[in-house]
Amino acid sequence: MPSSNPRLTHDTTHPIMTTTPDSERAEQLNMLRASALSFAAKESPVNRARALRRQTPGFERRFWNALAEQGWTGLLVPETMGGYEQGFAEMAEVVAALATQVAPEPVVPVLVFAGRLLAHTGATELSTRLLTELAEGRSLPAVAWQEDVTGTKDRTDQAATRLERQADALLLNGSKRHVRPGAGADGYIVSATGPGGLALVWVPADAAGLTVSSQPLADGSYVALLDFNNVRLPASHLLAEGPSAVAALTRAYDETLVLTSVELLALVRGMLAMTQDYLRTRIQFGKPIGTFQSLQHRAVDLLIQQELTASVVAQAVALLDDGDGDTTARSAMASRVKSRASDAGLQVAREAVQLHGAIGVTDEYDLGLYLQRALVLAAWLGNGTQQRRRYADLTRNATAQGHA
Amino acid sequence: MNTSSTSTSTDWNALDNASFRATLREFFETRFPGEWRYPQRRLRWSEIGPWYLALSKKGWVAPSWPSQYGGMGLSPEKLIIFIEEQERWGVARAPDMGITMVGPLLINHGNEAQRAYYLPKIIAGEHIWCQGYSEPNSGSDLASLRTEAVVDGDDFIVNGQKTWTTLAQDATHIFLLVRTDKSAKKQEGISFLLADMKTPGITVRPIRNIAGSEDFCEVFLENVRVPRTSIVGELNKGWTIAKALLGFERIFLGSPKQSQYALARVQEAAQRLGLFEDTGFVDRYTKLALDVADLGALYGRFIEQVKRGETLGPDVSMLKLFATETYSRLADLLVDVVGASGALPGPIALPGGKTDALTTFYNARPATIYGGSNEVQRNILAASVLKLPS
Repeated sequence: MPSSNPRLTHDTTHPIMTTTPDSERAEQLNMLRASALSFAAKESPVNRARALRRQTPGFERRFWNALAEQGWTGLLVPETMGGYEQGFAEMAEVVAALATQVAPEPVVPVLVFAGRLLAHTGATELSTRLLTELAEGRSLPAVAWQEDVTGTKDRTDQAATRLERQADALLLNGSKRHVRPGAGADGYIVSATGPGGLALVWVPADAAGLTVSSQPLADGSYVALLDFNNVRLPASHLLAEGPSAVAALTRAYDETLVLTSVELLALVRGMLAMTQDYLRTRIQFGKPIGTFQSLQHRAVDLLIQQELTASVVAQAVALLDDGDGDTTARSAMASRVKSRASDAGLQVAREAVQLHGAIGVTDEYDLGLYLQRALVLAAWLGNGTQQRRRYADLTRNATAQGHA
Repeated sequence: MNTSSTSTSTDWNALDNASFRATLREFFETRFPGEWRYPQRRLRWSEIGPWYLALSKKGWVAPSWPSQYGGMGLSPEKLIIFIEEQERWGVARAPDMGITMVGPLLINHGNEAQRAYYLPKIIAGEHIWCQGYSEPNSGSDLASLRTEAVVDGDDFIVNGQKTWTTLAQDATHIFLLVRTDKSAKKQEGISFLLADMKTPGITVRPIRNIAGSEDFCEVFLENVRVPRTSIVGELNKGWTIAKALLGFERIFLGSPKQSQYALARVQEAAQRLGLFEDTGFVDRYTKLALDVADLGALYGRFIEQVKRGETLGPDVSMLKLFATETYSRLADLLVDVVGASGALPGPIALPGGKTDALTTFYNARPATIYGGSNEVQRNILAASVLKLPS
């Protein structure tokens, strides 16, 4: 008979930002963290996530409304569009708290990826309306930019999907993959190649000619494959075009890599905490298995990965909050942190299962929920290996000049 | 600031960080002997002694000591800058046990007579110290040490053997952990003793390592008569004192500098061999480059803690683990990329320049052993940070 799931104690002593020079902001972050953790623990017990698996859309609109009531859907949105214009450090605390409970709501895909992309495309009437609705929790847009089955060939500055102009209308043809949320999105920000280069267009979920095929992911949430067959849109649905579209997509992508790493860090902390607990309490050969040195040393290796991830996450979030820096440096940092967090997430997941033994592979034990979410997040937007290739490309010039 | 008497009175901490850094940089860059930059082995006193004396003359030989004892009296923040600037220029480590260990030991636990006698001689470079801790049967389990000191009138008579004593052949003095009470629990019967290496009964035998150099020695102690006044602190309290000596300097065992330097060597060799065209190599290289970068992030977190004046916890051990193991993986990669030349000792002539692979490989071996082996560090983290049962 498997032992019951441990009750996770919510450790509020691990801020995302390890150093916050501004003590007033540090205090505000502490308060936000405490309130987000207590909200998540109360409103989103792990069993809620378990129950929503493979139940389309895989999350609860009701819960999303509760996030909106907390003001968290508008955290990153400019004040002029009904948001709170907070920093990424604030967003990271909310993201981490929800990830601690493996909450299934698509917070990072919608609020960070789509939300930031809308903010970066410049204020058109449409983007302002979409962002206002996003801040209020009334609309869940998704970003659709990838086309390659492994994602290896996808780049933020190109797309095979075609955009044509016809008189006052836009015509879209092509297909997109790896779109999250894969169910329950109200529309899509789609990248396509048009007469002016890369374009970003808004496609409502109910547009004629759009086929959405939802597939369940390992964690029971959904990912979508979109097919555009002569989708006709008003010209006002063009959000950005040319270099500004590339810059907006690249920046939102990088910001999303960082916040996805925040989620992975929370999962790593959760899995290591469960494993520590298990090692302390599981008795075999007449003593807790945590007394065995080989198991202790393996657990320490996970601790090191956790702390490396935490250190890089703190740096990356700080870099985003610094605002307009060198875009290459920001991209390199985003790839660096996603590489570390993805690999740490998978390593800690695998090792946590092994250290638990057979109970770790049962569906009723919570560890599996963390492992499956880690699988989803590690793969999404480029896994460790893919991020390292991007990092190598971005830093190649620096390497060629040497850095001794 | 030409003499130590004027420079020790300088309030370095009052200087802004940038000026302090610039002052150090200027001196290191103009005065440090170029041939000894980034040495790949521990330098002997005959090689690096002149630099020690130059620092002494400048008043900079003991950056962490209070100025009343001839030190620079640096705050943790300024001391970190001092170390960073040394590392940046590849300034070699001189025999510094007197500075890093004996000075703080006597300042915190010694008596006035000991401080008055020893400290000026350390500053002047007259006394060169070595550390007599490990024994043939007491390495990781140091507290089991058996070198014994028995009271005989005004003296202790010391018998036993120390080993892995770094640069004992160049030292004039040794500080020893010795057993003074065999009946007590193992940690509680240990005392801290100072001895002159010229004392009859002390024999030093250098140990040749696999790299062919003689960095450490065996020290034999046979009926060595040491005055009772040479004890530091109370009788049988040596273990406590030795543990208290592990200050925030432990952080430097986890400095990313060694790995950054090795990464630069890998990069240099790879460029000479055209390996950046090879995606397989680029994948391996980038993974390690990110390990080095992320080590820097982790190190930075602990450095911030020191700067804030906080005491380091046992979690600092993870820094030493990841630093030395990253260094070891880099050494492996370096040997790997030179392929068939991977067994050639010393510089290998590659197209466009020379690369030394085996020296890095050899240096990586003790790195995971000294300063508390990585296995002992993992035990510490398991018990103190993960709170796993014993």
